[in-house]
Order: sequence, then structure tokens, then C-alpha cells
Amino acid sequence: MDMDTRELADGVGLVTLAGRLNMVSAPALKAAIDELIGAGRPRVVVDLSGVSFMDSSGLGALVAGLKRARQAQGDLRIAGANEQVLTVLRLTNLDRVLRPRDTVEEAGRDW
Amino acid sequence: MTGEYRMDGLAVPESLDQLHDLLETVREQFPDVDETALMMFETAVIEIHGNVIRHGRPKGKVAYEFRLAVHGDRLEAHLTTDDEAVPDLSHLPGREPSDPLAESGRGLWLADAMLDELQYSRSGHHNIWTMVKLLGSEAAGG
Repeated sequence: MDMDTRELADGVGLVTLAGRLNMVSAPALKAAIDELIGAGRPRVVVDLSGVSFMDSSGLGALVAGLKRARQAQGDLRIAGANEQVLTVLRLTNLDRVLRPRDTVEEAGRDW
Repeated sequence: MTGEYRMDGLAVPESLDQLHDLLETVREQFPDVDETALMMFETAVIEIHGNVIRHGRPKGKVAYEFRLAVHGDRLEAHLTTDDEAVPDLSHLPGREPSDPLAESGRGLWLADAMLDELQYSRSGHHNIWTMVKLLGSEAAGG
């Protein structure tokens, strides 16, 4: 999996992923989110538009990031999820807390 | 029309990509198989195999054999592992983790939710997983 992090706006971090988000790549995502929050960006957008597949480990990393962001008075939002990722979210009912946005632009506004 | 596939090796993280590649081959060779069904089946296969990688013993040395059959009415896979550990099935059938924001413990539950049938059995030193996803009437091509 390829991953890139940058500042999307003041206090807002963006993690862009490409490839498969699974038990191999999930720890790196979790670490990247922790790093953004630790650097003073407790609002995190995760761009999943390049993610072809996500398993429960990837989902666990997103949930961990969400909890960490909320502990820092921020939040975590996801954008651009494909049908497989959306199905995983729906079946686990986590689409209610990780409410998917269509685009990074939509996810990055109105915090 | 049917197709049969087989692969084996050690249940290590790298084998996840090999399973994905195998399912991609199925996708290419059976373009009429319903994509949603195949996607859900693939998710379940990866979850079950991931469970073996994570919890199988001795860790990194568990041998597996994966067999997949494409039938007109279903996708069916059997994953057999030479494993000292017996899987924890406490999240089956049909129960999510009690903590809605749990960071782990959803794998087997998710696999079960993706499939029409998930069975586990123990035979000697082997764990045997059977996974079935039913296909619609238009899925008999390939």
C-alpha cells in the first residue's frame, strides 16, 4: 500500500492511501494518524479513493484513529470509499460513526 | 460451467496478496459472475486467511491449502490448515464485538456476514474452513 500525509488546512491532516488496506498495511495507517494528531492536527481526513480493498484490520486502524482524534477534541472522516469498503462499513454498522464522504473536499469542510 | 483453482504454502502475510491475485484470475476468467458476490466472497476469504495468519500456531509456519470452485450457482472455497491452534469462534454465529468501537475482533464475524455459508471443522491436526457464496441465475458464464 502507498501512503502520503500532508496538511489539508489549518489543524486538518490528510492521509492519502492507495492499494490494499489490510493486516500488513494497517499499522502504518494507524501510526500516520497518530503522528498527525500528535503534530497538532486532530482533524483527520483519510482519502480512500485509491484503496481497492479493506479488511477488518484496516477497519480497526480507522476506528483506532477515530478514537484517538476524538480524544484530542478532533474527528476523523473518510472519503472516496469504493463499494467493497462501503460494504465492510455497512455490515459492521461503522458507517454510522465513520460516515463516508464522497470527496476529500466534502470531508474537509464544516468540522 | 465450472472452474477449479488451488494454491498452497505457508500462512504468512505475503500469502494474502497471492489469494487476491487468485481471485483476480477468477474475476477475469468468469466475467459474468456477479461482482458484488465475488467481492463479498473475496472479503470473507481474506478474513479467514488473515485469522489463520494471526492466530495459527506455530506462527509463520502453518501450512495451508486453498481450493476454490466456481459453479453456476455458487462460489465455494475450502481452506485447510495444518495448525496446532483451534480458532476462537466466540464471535460466531452472527455476533458483533460488544464494544461498537472495538479495534479488533470483527474478522470472523465479518466473514460470516459476507457469506451464505461458513463452516469450520477440526480433523486431526487440521482446521478446515468451508466458505460458500450463492450466485444469481445470471452467474453461470465464464
